[in-house]
Amino acid sequence: MTAISAAPPRTRAAGYWIAFAMVVGLLLVAPLVLPPFWQRFATEILIWGLLAMSSDILIGYTGMVSFGHSAFFGLGMYGAAAALLTVKPPSLSLALIYGLVAAGGAAVFVAYFATRLREIYFAISTLVFSQIFYVIIFTWTEVTGGENGLTFGQPRLSILGLWSDRFTPTTFHWFVLAVVVVSYLVVRRITQSPFGMVLQSIRENEPRTRAIGYPVERYKIVAVMLSGLFAGLAGVLYALQNKFAAPDFVFFVVSGEVVIFNVMGGMGTLVGPFAGAAFFLLLRESLSRLPYLAEYYLIPVGIIFIIMIIFLPQGLLGFLRRRLNA
Amino acid sequence: MAPHTPQRSERPGTLRCSASRVSVLSASPILKTESLTVRFGGLAAVNNVTISVSRGEIRGIIGPNGAGKSTFFNCLTGVLRPTSGRIVFNGEDIAGLPPHAISRKAIARSYQITNILPGATVLENVRIASQSRRHNWSMLRHHRAYGDIIALARAILADVGLSGKEDELASNLSHGEQRNLEIGIALATEPKLLCLDEPTAGMSVAETHATVDLVRRIARDLTILIVEHDMEVVMGLAHTITVLNYGEVLAEGRPTEIQANPRVQEVYLKT
Repeated sequence: MTAISAAPPRTRAAGYWIAFAMVVGLLLVAPLVLPPFWQRFATEILIWGLLAMSSDILIGYTGMVSFGHSAFFGLGMYGAAAALLTVKPPSLSLALIYGLVAAGGAAVFVAYFATRLREIYFAISTLVFSQIFYVIIFTWTEVTGGENGLTFGQPRLSILGLWSDRFTPTTFHWFVLAVVVVSYLVVRRITQSPFGMVLQSIRENEPRTRAIGYPVERYKIVAVMLSGLFAGLAGVLYALQNKFAAPDFVFFVVSGEVVIFNVMGGMGTLVGPFAGAAFFLLLRESLSRLPYLAEYYLIPVGIIFIIMIIFLPQGLLGFLRRRLNA
Repeated sequence: MAPHTPQRSERPGTLRCSASRVSVLSASPILKTESLTVRFGGLAAVNNVTISVSRGEIRGIIGPNGAGKSTFFNCLTGVLRPTSGRIVFNGEDIAGLPPHAISRKAIARSYQITNILPGATVLENVRIASQSRRHNWSMLRHHRAYGDIIALARAILADVGLSGKEDELASNLSHGEQRNLEIGIALATEPKLLCLDEPTAGMSVAETHATVDLVRRIARDLTILIVEHDMEVVMGLAHTITVLNYGEVLAEGRPTEIQANPRVQEVYLKT
C-alpha cells in the first residue's frame, strides 16, 4: 500500500527543492530552444499534467477513482468560452473565473451525490455524471455549438491593467508554467496539511477514520470540489491554447486517459501524473509517426501500458512517493 | 467550515494518566443503556440490555462467542443503529448517531481485529486521531507545523510503550505492539469512555501483563468497558462484570460473585 510519510532529514528537503528548481528551469527555457511543434507540445503536456494532478488528489490521496474528470475539464473549457464569447473585449481573468465557477459548480453537484458511494460505485457514478454533461453539451447546439463546439479568440495577457500584450506561444507557455507551478505548490501544501492527512487516513482506513471522529463524507465532498476546480483550471488553459471548446473533451475517454496518466506516472505523488502525461503523450506521438504503424499506434501503446502495470505497478515516480510527500 | 475548537484547555505533552489520582467511583452513571435491542432479521443479537456504568469504573463484559458483545460495542459506537432502546451517555441519548458524532461525544473504542492505518507511521496513526479534535480542516499549513498535536501524540505513544517506534510503518509492528497502538489511537481522541474489544487477544503472556498494566493506568481518568476472553485478565481488571448470553444480561456483579454464580458457570465458565 501507499505510505504516509515520516519526517525527512533536512538534506532530503534540500534535494527536493534543487530538483524542483531544475525542472522548472528546464521548462522555462524549453520554449526558447524547441521548434514550434514541440514547444506547443510541451505546453500541452503541462496542461494535461495539471488535469492528471487534480485527479491525483482523489486517486492517490483519498483513494477514490474518478472517471468524471473530463466533465470538470470540459466545463472549464466551456466556461472560458462563455466568458470569451459574451464579454467584450475578451478578458483573461473573466475566462478563468467563469471556467472555475463552471467546473467548481459541476464538482459540487457530482460530489454531493457520488461521495455517498464507495469504490467502484463512486467511479461509475462519476462516469455517469460526466456522460450526462457530455450529452447536454453535445445536444444543446444553440448554446454550446453541439458537435462543432465553439471557437473564439485568445484574450490578451494583462497584469492588473498596467501592462497588456498579445500572447505569443512562448509567453503562453510561461503563463501556463506559472499557473501549473502555483497549482502544484498549493495542492502539495493541501495534501500535507491537516486536511490532507485526513484524506490520506480515509485512503488507508475509511471506517477507522470515521471512528476517530471525522465526518468522512464532508471531507470527500471537499476533496472532489478541490479536484474539480484544478481540473477546470486545466480546461481553461486548454481552451486558451487552442481557442476552441469541443464536446470531445467532455467525453469519458479523456477521464480514462487521466487515470492512465496517474497509473503510469505514480499515484499519490502529484508530480507522477505530470511524468505520466509526458510519457504517454510522447509515446503516442512518436508511435503514430512510425510509417507502417499509422492508425494502429494505439496497439503498442496498450501493450506498453500493460507491461508497465506488471513491472512498474507504482508508476514511473512511484518509488519517490515517500520523499515527495515529506 | 470553521475549524473545530477544543472545548477544554489542553496541556500538550502532559500525560493525562500520569497524575497519581486514585480512582473514585462516583454515583452518577456515565453510561446507561435502557432496553437496548439490536435485531438482525429474526435474531436478537442484543436483547433488552439495560446496564448502568459508573464514572471511573472498569466494567468487564463477558459471554460465550455470539453472545452479542461486539454487537453491543458496535451499537455504542454508532456502527450499528439499535432497533430499539436508548443509550444515555453523560445524560444525553446518543443511540443512532453516526460513528464520527459519537467519537466527538468522547466515546472511543479499540477493535477486536486490529484496525489501524497500516501504511502510515506509528506517529501518524496517533497524530491523526489527536488532530480530530483540533485544526482538522486547516489546509494551508504543513501538518507538522502544529506542534501541540504532535506533542500530544508523542505523549500517548510513550504511554502505550511505543516511544522509539514513531517513524516505523504501523504494518511493521508486532501483533502485540499493533494492539497497543490501537489503544493509543483511541486515547488520542481524548475519550471519557473507552471500549476495549479483547485488547489482549493473541498476545503473549508478557505482552498481556503489560497491557493489563496499561489499562489500569489509563483507567485512573477514564471509564472503561472491556470485552475479554481471558478470564484472568478480566477478573483482575474489572470492578463489575456483566455476563451476556444470547444477547441478554445473564448476570451482573463483582468478579468474585460472577465466579461463584452457578448460572454463569453453567453457560460460560465450564464450556
